[in-house]
Amino acid sequence: MSAPLSFTAATRTVATRELTERLRDKSFWMSTVITLVILGAVLFMPKLFGDDNTFTVAYAGSGADAVADAADAQAKPLGMTLKRAEHPDEAAARKAVADGKLDAYVGANKVIVKNELDDQLGIVLQNAHRQVVSTEQLHQQGLDPGAVQAAQTVTPLTVDALEPTDPKAEQRGQVAFIGSIVLYGQIIGYCMWVAFGIVEEKASRVVELILSAISTKALLAGKILGIGLLGFLQLTLIATFGLFLGNATGMLQVSSDLLVPVGFVLLWFLLGYAFYSAVFAASAARVSRQEELQNVIGPANMLIMVSFFASFYVNFNPDSPISRLLGMIPPFSALCAPVRMARGTAPWWETGLALGLMLAAIGFLVVAGARIYEGAILRMGAKISLKDAWFGGRRRAVDAAA
Amino acid sequence: MLELRAVTKRYGDRLAVDNLSLSVEPGKMFGFVGTNGAGKTTTMRILMGVLEPDAGSVCWNGRPADADARRGFGYMPEERGLYPKMRIRDQLIYLARLRGTSPEKAASAVDELLAEFGLSERAQDRVEQLSLGNQQRVQLAAALVHEPTFLVLDEPFSGLDPVGVDALAHILDQRVRRGVGVLFSSHQLDLVERLCDAVGIIGAGRLVASGTVEGLRTKGRLRRYRLLVSASPGWSQGLPGVSVVADDRTPEGTASTLELADGVDPQALLDTARAAGSVHEFRPLSPSLTELFREAVSESPSNGQADAASDLDAEQVVA
Repeated sequence: MSAPLSFTAATRTVATRELTERLRDKSFWMSTVITLVILGAVLFMPKLFGDDNTFTVAYAGSGADAVADAADAQAKPLGMTLKRAEHPDEAAARKAVADGKLDAYVGANKVIVKNELDDQLGIVLQNAHRQVVSTEQLHQQGLDPGAVQAAQTVTPLTVDALEPTDPKAEQRGQVAFIGSIVLYGQIIGYCMWVAFGIVEEKASRVVELILSAISTKALLAGKILGIGLLGFLQLTLIATFGLFLGNATGMLQVSSDLLVPVGFVLLWFLLGYAFYSAVFAASAARVSRQEELQNVIGPANMLIMVSFFASFYVNFNPDSPISRLLGMIPPFSALCAPVRMARGTAPWWETGLALGLMLAAIGFLVVAGARIYEGAILRMGAKISLKDAWFGGRRRAVDAAA
Repeated sequence: MLELRAVTKRYGDRLAVDNLSLSVEPGKMFGFVGTNGAGKTTTMRILMGVLEPDAGSVCWNGRPADADARRGFGYMPEERGLYPKMRIRDQLIYLARLRGTSPEKAASAVDELLAEFGLSERAQDRVEQLSLGNQQRVQLAAALVHEPTFLVLDEPFSGLDPVGVDALAHILDQRVRRGVGVLFSSHQLDLVERLCDAVGIIGAGRLVASGTVEGLRTKGRLRRYRLLVSASPGWSQGLPGVSVVADDRTPEGTASTLELADGVDPQALLDTARAAGSVHEFRPLSPSLTELFREAVSESPSNGQADAASDLDAEQVVA
């Protein structure tokens, strides 16, 4: 009744199981919801707390109305809203400022604020004040303020940048940085699933039954592909949700420009996952109990952590020589490259080199990882040394036999 | 037909399987017995292709067994195990599919098997929710789910209660009737004796004896008879071709164990006994498989040493 089963068919069967079993797992949906909630909170937070562009200001003195009008006129192009408050006297205004109900109280020749004058509000108020007072002074000296103003109206210098920075580079970089943080979670989470899955098969001993039917490589490939596909789908869902929410809250102006960093994050998920899943799989195959897993995957975990912190450095110093190196050299490039590349400031050869080096590293790790996996997977009991696993292929495996 | 041809496997310095050959015909049950660490599990793993032999080959219907041929075999490994959190029905379908069964056939075969094993109502349960007995049944179902052409079962009866043993024996018997060959290992020698058409006794990696149980009993061995005669010891002395193994005095007379040379008619012995006194008991003594087994492994020269070494290994495995 059984028929020949190709490597591809065996791999696909294993991958399908990995995917469907995990889709049925409550913890998968929990983690998806939690990730979305956190991402939502990050995108909503500024909306809830930091509506920084509305200020309450009170004016005093004879020119109060004029200053207020001038300030409103100044604020509008900057996207600020000024709400005018009335206070009977300076004492009442001081109290309101102290209580935080009033952002600024503009009196004759002074501004009263609580801690410091907001930069933008400062510019608006100083300009408004200068305009009103200078008009008054011109009047006093018998000059026509209109003529003076006309004389002072000069077309601003046009800027001709030789190497212009893309105004959207910063936004792309920020999106890629948030993406990189999510990427860190995805890579570590899904590689852990690969590791857990492998130890589960060893610990439950089901692996011998499976390997009596299909090849070791088909089992390994199916597991990594199935779990990786799920991770990719989840990451796509998170990215779509993030862009949608960012657009809805006005945090991001979603355009085709923002698909660049998102695309980089997805691409580097594939590369980073391929890199680390091979390491995690080879490590996990060496032990037969979940308790020992932390032990063997510690170094790989550490590598991801270091890459993660390096991506912060790259985000703050995107063009430093160290950042350029971190963006090119595996394994750091897995998390650092998207941050740097999404800005569009990296020359094309850098992107190409980063991809080439990563692909070469993956090629090596997949071959070496598969060999270690093959040498260790059927050997139950104590932890298998790397050397034993390396030289222990199926031919010599199962020392434990009786 | 399944054949092992001069299979050898070593672990470092130790010879786990030594030049072992055997064959199992379709529709026959072969019992594989031997002390712990004698090489049974290694042999079965080689048979299934989980391990590769250092020398020798496994043949299926006269040709070296490749992965596709082996995929047709059903296997119950010594180290039992299934995915603890996977639903039974899904799991069995998955295992059938890994052995090349189409999804539709796998589903219907699984439903039939679950019904046969009385597990239909547990189909959606996870393996870890089952009792040990039921887990063992699912494990057996995993070996049968793709309607195997040959069955390799490592200690299938261990851990079963007498009812479970009978049920399993019945299930295996049905497969054998359909022409499936079965090779299984067991320490329950009475079971092997009852079920198997042929047995192989393995000691220190070598097949020290093999054949039908009846054949092993008679091969190179004189017939023995036990008699209880109301006469004094020594009543049988002087009979040509009869030697006394034991002559014990009992309240009824003498209990004798006698060995008959080839060509001696047991009826002549009975006549002599009746002439000596009244005969209360007269029966042929055939050695049980257990006795044959003890004999065979104690004859095997380097056995004691190999056992000690492999016991040590077995402990390391568990740890």
